Amino acid sequence: MQNSESSPLVQAEKVEKVYTQAGHMPVRALDDITLRIEPGEFTAVAGPSGSGKTTLLNLIGGLDQPTAGRVTVAGQNLGDLSRSALAAFRLNNLGFIFQAFNLIPVLTAEENAEFILLLQGISKAERRTRVERELEELGITSDMMRRRPAKLSGGQQQRVAIARALVARPKLILADEPTGNLDSTSGGRLLDKMRDLNERTGITFLFSTHDPMIIERAKRLVTLRDGRIISDDFR
Amino acid sequence: MFLVIAWRNIWRNSRRSSVLISAVAAGVFSFLGLTAYMAGFSLQWIDASIRLQGGHVLIASQGYYANPMVRNAISDSRAVERAIADVPGAKSMARLQVAGILNSAAQASAVQITGVNPDQEWRNSPIPNSLTDGLYIEDPGDGIVMGAVLAEKLQVRLGERVVLIINDLSNELASVAVRVAGLYESSSRAMDERVVFLHRQDVQALVGFTDQEASTISVFLEREKDVESIAAGLRATLADPALEVLSWRDRLPMIVSMESMLGLISVLIVVILFAAIGFTLINSFLMVIYERMRELGIMMANGVAPGQIRRLIWLEASFMVCLGVVLGTALAAGLIAWWSQTGLDLSAFSEGLRSFGADTIVYPRLERTSVLAGYGTILVMITLAVAWPAWKASRFRVVDALQHT
Repeated sequence: MQNSESSPLVQAEKVEKVYTQAGHMPVRALDDITLRIEPGEFTAVAGPSGSGKTTLLNLIGGLDQPTAGRVTVAGQNLGDLSRSALAAFRLNNLGFIFQAFNLIPVLTAEENAEFILLLQGISKAERRTRVERELEELGITSDMMRRRPAKLSGGQQQRVAIARALVARPKLILADEPTGNLDSTSGGRLLDKMRDLNERTGITFLFSTHDPMIIERAKRLVTLRDGRIISDDFR
Repeated sequence: MFLVIAWRNIWRNSRRSSVLISAVAAGVFSFLGLTAYMAGFSLQWIDASIRLQGGHVLIASQGYYANPMVRNAISDSRAVERAIADVPGAKSMARLQVAGILNSAAQASAVQITGVNPDQEWRNSPIPNSLTDGLYIEDPGDGIVMGAVLAEKLQVRLGERVVLIINDLSNELASVAVRVAGLYESSSRAMDERVVFLHRQDVQALVGFTDQEASTISVFLEREKDVESIAAGLRATLADPALEVLSWRDRLPMIVSMESMLGLISVLIVVILFAAIGFTLINSFLMVIYERMRELGIMMANGVAPGQIRRLIWLEASFMVCLGVVLGTALAAGLIAWWSQTGLDLSAFSEGLRSFGADTIVYPRLERTSVLAGYGTILVMITLAVAWPAWKASRFRVVDALQHT
């Protein structure tokens, strides 16, 4: 594995993704995507619906495989990994925040945040410290920590999901439409929190969005249309 | 944490889980009830058959079984009985046996005449306690005890006379008139139709046996499992090539076969029962994994490995099955404990059971090995039944699972 200090965190090279379904014309979701993301970036991938934003995030997150090309994250070619190895890679390197229903419904907020640490084999004392710190920092009170997701608001659930992603100290957090189910005030606060975390801790964030609040706060904006990058702006 | 998730998952759809747990409990209850019934029935039937048909170990002259001729008797039965008396937990019962014809005014029937020592019979044989009318023989000249069905066939009643005709030791026809002293009804209709009892001295006088002779000597044991070792011990002690010492397993192969068949029937019923529960589990868990597909996708995206997904599904199934097993076992144990005291009365089927040589009241009993084998089967059943849904869940493409709503 290469040193992540001197090499890109994410390297997508000539990536293609074609969806084929029996009886239907193949759909080219991504076409010749080459993208390099450095550690510490706060990048948004924007574009209209069907432009390939989520597909690109899924490939970078190892949730799906490209039809052609290669995706390297933290020096690891994801195509070389088995299902189990890929799961272990995601566990130790990546954090995910989805639009909604991110949490395990039968676990409390703090258990959800603790879950990944447990999989990583972190000691109980260390888990407790990290979970409480992150949840408190994201405004989850000790009363909320003991509630199950169904007893939390959408914004509170998203903050727990962010805490879960952060406690594991991943190299990269992939957020797919993280504010899609939130009102603008909650969404704005959440994004400010993520931006603050990015600046303080150096964790890399990659968003897929068409939410103007994210686009406005992103330090870099990659725009897709019909599966191709049409612009890549650093701010 | 997977234990916590699996446990809490059970109660997400409490109605479905309750149905599944109840199905497992009903299966375990049926399995234990059936196993206990079959074990009790088998044990009682074998014990009754052994007691009716000559004891746990039977000693006779060499070749008597192949050719039960009246002359083929044990010459020194006292010496054999003394050897048996030295064996701890063993009791002896000597009999004289001879084939004959029993005549009444109306009918005649071929019978096996058995000369008995009443004291020994009371101690070992179920016949003295199976009398439906009259009294068992106490002294010579008391008369004959016969099956109630035989009396009906011969159209004789208690106190009436019948005539016994036999071939004596000199191969001459001999006959004697005796009164019907008692009527019995054993668990074997075939025996009731054929075997009659007289005092030993009456048979000695009729046939010409000496006081020392016996056709067979039965050995009754406190513990059935000692049969083979005691039979071997007696063979060594007696060391008489003129004698044949046979365990009931050697002598009654049909009962051995029936014992195996009863075991096989139990196994088949258990397999069918658990297969039905297995299919219920497969069906339920296929529903479960598709209902929770997105949740499983979230877990896999966050680094849960395919093996851990399989384990989670297996744990959830195991919890439900364990609850069902505990519930089913508690219910069955209570009922079996009660039945083992009161007995399970199947007198409604008495005719069928008697033709089979079985008691109408069965005392179910649980045997540790069969219960453990059953629980082992349940474990295998869960593993097999959940293997497919669990494997399917672990093979979901993460991206497809995440898009599932």
